[in-house]
Amino acid sequence: MTTLPTSPLTSPREDHSLSLRGSRGLVWSVLRLHRAALWIWLLLLAAVSATMLWAYGPGFDAAAADLRQQCRDSVVACHFPSGPWYGKYDTAVALSTLVVAYLPFLVAVWAGAALIGRELETGTAHLAWTQSVSPARWLAAKLAVPALLITAGTAVLIPLHRLMWNGGEELLWADWYDQDAFHANGTVALAYALCGLAVGALAGLLLGRALPALGVAFAAMLAITYLGNDYRPSMWRTVTVTGAKALNLPDDSLRLDQGVITTEGTRIGNNLACTDALDGAADLRRCMARGGLSDIWATYHPRSHFWPLQLAETGIVLAVAALAVIAAFVLLNRRVATASAAASVPPDRRTAAVGAAV
Amino acid sequence: MSRDEEGIALAAVGLGKRYRRRRGPVLRNCSFRLPAGRICALVGPNGAGKSTLLSLAAGLIRPTEGTLTVLGTTPAEARTRFAYVAQSKPLPPQLTVAATLRLGAELNRARWDRAAAERIAYGPLAPGGDRDGALDPTSKIRSLSGGQRTRVALALAFGKRPELMLLDEPMADLDPLARRELLGALLGEAAEHGTTIVISSHVIAELEGACDHLLLMGGGRIRLGGDPEQLLAAHTLLTGPARDLTGHTVVESRDAGRQLTALIRPGGPLPDDWQTAAPSLEELLLAHLRNPDAPDLFTEETVETDENEENARA
Repeated sequence: MTTLPTSPLTSPREDHSLSLRGSRGLVWSVLRLHRAALWIWLLLLAAVSATMLWAYGPGFDAAAADLRQQCRDSVVACHFPSGPWYGKYDTAVALSTLVVAYLPFLVAVWAGAALIGRELETGTAHLAWTQSVSPARWLAAKLAVPALLITAGTAVLIPLHRLMWNGGEELLWADWYDQDAFHANGTVALAYALCGLAVGALAGLLLGRALPALGVAFAAMLAITYLGNDYRPSMWRTVTVTGAKALNLPDDSLRLDQGVITTEGTRIGNNLACTDALDGAADLRRCMARGGLSDIWATYHPRSHFWPLQLAETGIVLAVAALAVIAAFVLLNRRVATASAAASVPPDRRTAAVGAAV
Repeated sequence: MSRDEEGIALAAVGLGKRYRRRRGPVLRNCSFRLPAGRICALVGPNGAGKSTLLSLAAGLIRPTEGTLTVLGTTPAEARTRFAYVAQSKPLPPQLTVAATLRLGAELNRARWDRAAAERIAYGPLAPGGDRDGALDPTSKIRSLSGGQRTRVALALAFGKRPELMLLDEPMADLDPLARRELLGALLGEAAEHGTTIVISSHVIAELEGACDHLLLMGGGRIRLGGDPEQLLAAHTLLTGPARDLTGHTVVESRDAGRQLTALIRPGGPLPDDWQTAAPSLEELLLAHLRNPDAPDLFTEETVETDENEENARA
């Protein structure tokens, strides 16, 4: 008999119809084993969606009406919005942004601890592997089913959050590049959540225990999120302007750096010389001449860079997720027996299998 | 696949397993063959490597060296055809008994025997009503006792209708009544379907009489293998005056002055002034465990198959 050379991730023995039939059972088993998590996910979706819809509609209207009234009564209130309705509205927006932005952490600790870590710790994963399901297909189902549910859920959350955010701009005083808002307002929310799933699963497989996997998954997501926030501005080409334009960047721009160019041509970053020359081009020229500068410049992301930045970061984070998934499969396949391992014993060695005879 | 491979349920060649690189191996140069259709007791002291051997056979871990052939192929390829019950009887605690059986059905869609699984879990479909030990389908796994969980784990194994059952210490948690019942069910399964059954245990007494094949593990390898009757017949327990035992294989000997007690494999006729007796299975196993240097022994039957193979190939 011969062994077909196969990729470690697939088994040649499972023909298509069989693997489809088997998959349905696997999907059922993932949903049944993690039924509590499924309910919590649905409840969370419902609660956050309801909160965001309230904030978009009645919450915003009530707060705005209340503030208009206050503004008519006292000028101070126009500049310092407060009051019970505004408080409620602000809390609702802040909470729902928080949940959508930090959802990836929730997914990661769940995937590390409950989805994979606990199953390996108690041995119920091994129970599945000794039914008619290969470990690789088990892991594939463990990743695919939650991934689908996460995608479906965030596909509801992100548009709702955008609706609430865009609708409430005049009350929120927040910028498009605020970290939490950026995380909740676009496709990166989905990318980070899927990355959390992959990283959590990898941590669970790597450690094989629920609690350590929970900790490591959280720490890994913390690191990834931190790096994402840190390198976000460099994920899309910035705009640099010089002269008077550098003093008056378009509204809602994310100013990254500004500086001066000396008459010798040296470029100095992080320098605020002459930025107080607001009276016009003539004022600026006088100031530069006084300081021996030939020009000033500023680097920024205009608001129109929101989607390019979102998509670039989404791509990078999804690539990280893909790497984690590949690592998880490789790790699993190195640990358990796979179909590609040697299948038969050479005949001459087989006789040697038996020791001394009577 | 050649025919002789179909007749062999388990075959190991030079099998070795080491968990951590710096620690010693759990299995070392372990070789044996188990013909199909046997009820095999895998016995040995704690830490002898029984669980490791069964995990290897179930494809849950990879050997560091050597090969293990399960039902004529690799453990991974044979996955659908064997059942494995781990020592800790892991079952999802949040499921009910009925949901656990459903899980077995969903994960073994191609070959699930619902009746067989429910017979083990809920007891035979007798009109007599409730039986002791039978499980309530609605009770959660979390609330079950160790023995009851063993029953569910075995029900999953039976429902798979396997050709080979690998059972790691299945009897340890069971009360004597349940032990008898489930052992009876295993024997019935083997008789009816020709299922090969491997049961590991460190208490040989609970399997004596039920098994027709014995594998004794010690020091990370198989020390004795074969039909227990034949293994016993190959050994003699003798008492008599101390004398040179050259020509016989001495498994264990104890000198008490001029009097000698020894368990030997006779290599020729024994002198008349020695009293001989047939050892019990327990005596045989203990003597081998106490003396790691005693040579390994596999009964002729296992080798015969081998010679036939050689002839067939020639």
